Amino acid sequence: MSSYQKNKPEFNCADIEEYVQQYLDNVLDEEKKRLFEEHIEYCLPCDKKIEFERKFKEIVRLKAKENLPHETIDRKLKELLENLY
Amino acid sequence: MVTDKQKEFAKLIEPHLPSLYNTALRMTHNQNDAEDLVQDALFKAYRALDQFQKDTNFRAWVFRILVNTFITAYRKAIRQPQKVSYDDMEEFFLYKRLDETVTLQEVPKEEFLENLFDDDVKEALDNLPYQFRLVVLLCDVEGFSYNEIANIINAPLGTVMSRLYRGRKLLQRYLWNYAKKRGYITDEFLPKK
Repeated sequence: MSSYQKNKPEFNCADIEEYVQQYLDNVLDEEKKRLFEEHIEYCLPCDKKIEFERKFKEIVRLKAKENLPHETIDRKLKELLENLY
Repeated sequence: MVTDKQKEFAKLIEPHLPSLYNTALRMTHNQNDAEDLVQDALFKAYRALDQFQKDTNFRAWVFRILVNTFITAYRKAIRQPQKVSYDDMEEFFLYKRLDETVTLQEVPKEEFLENLFDDDVKEALDNLPYQFRLVVLLCDVEGFSYNEIANIINAPLGTVMSRLYRGRKLLQRYLWNYAKKRGYITDEFLPKK
C-alpha cells in the first residue's frame, strides 16, 4: 500500500454518527459527502441506520401534516379578507 | 368592498395557509388559538405588505411574522424554557433501542415508524420544548433550509443546527417512550448479548 493510500482520509462509524443529520439535510460539503457515501457503501450497519433516519424524517413530515380541506381554506381566506382593513 | 391590495394579498397568502395553520396548531396546541395566531399574523403581514420586497421569499417572510407574533403573544408561557436533560441525547436513539428489542430484531425497523399513528407523532412534537419544536417543524415538516430558518427565528445558523439536531433526538426518545407506554413494544428492554 502506498503512503498516499495509507493517509487517505476516510470516514469511520463515529464520523457517520457525527455527520448523519447534516448528510440527510444535504448540507455537507462535497468532500465530506463523498467520504460519507464511501463509508456507507461498504458498512452495512451504518447504511441501515441512515436509511432508518431518512425514513424517520419522512414519517415526521407525513404524519405531522394537518390536511385542511379545500373548503376550510376557502372559508378562512374569505373570513380573513372580510376582516382586513 | 375588496380592494386590489386585499386581492393581491389573498393571492399571495392562499398557497401558504395550510402550512401556517399547521405550524400554528403545533405551536399553540389548540385549534382556536391557532386560528387567532394565524389571523393576527396575517393582519400584521397585510399592514406590512409594502415592506415586503417583491421577488424575495414571501413564504419565509410570512413565517417570520407568524413566529414573531407567536413569541409576543406567548411570551409569558415561554419565558422560562423547559429544562431538558442532554444526557441520553445519542444519535440513532430509536434505531438502537429497536435493535436491542429481541422480538423486533427480525422485523424491518422502518415498520415501527410506519405503524405509528399521526397522533403519536403530533403528540411527541407537541411535547418538545417550543424552541426545539419550532425548528423541527420549520425544517422537517415545512421544508425550510437552515438559512431560511435562521432568518425566520432570528438566530445564528449554529443555533438552528443545534436545536434541530437535539429536537430530532428528543423526538425519537419521546416516540420510544410512547411506544412502550402504549404497548407497541411488548418486549422488555433486553440488550443484545
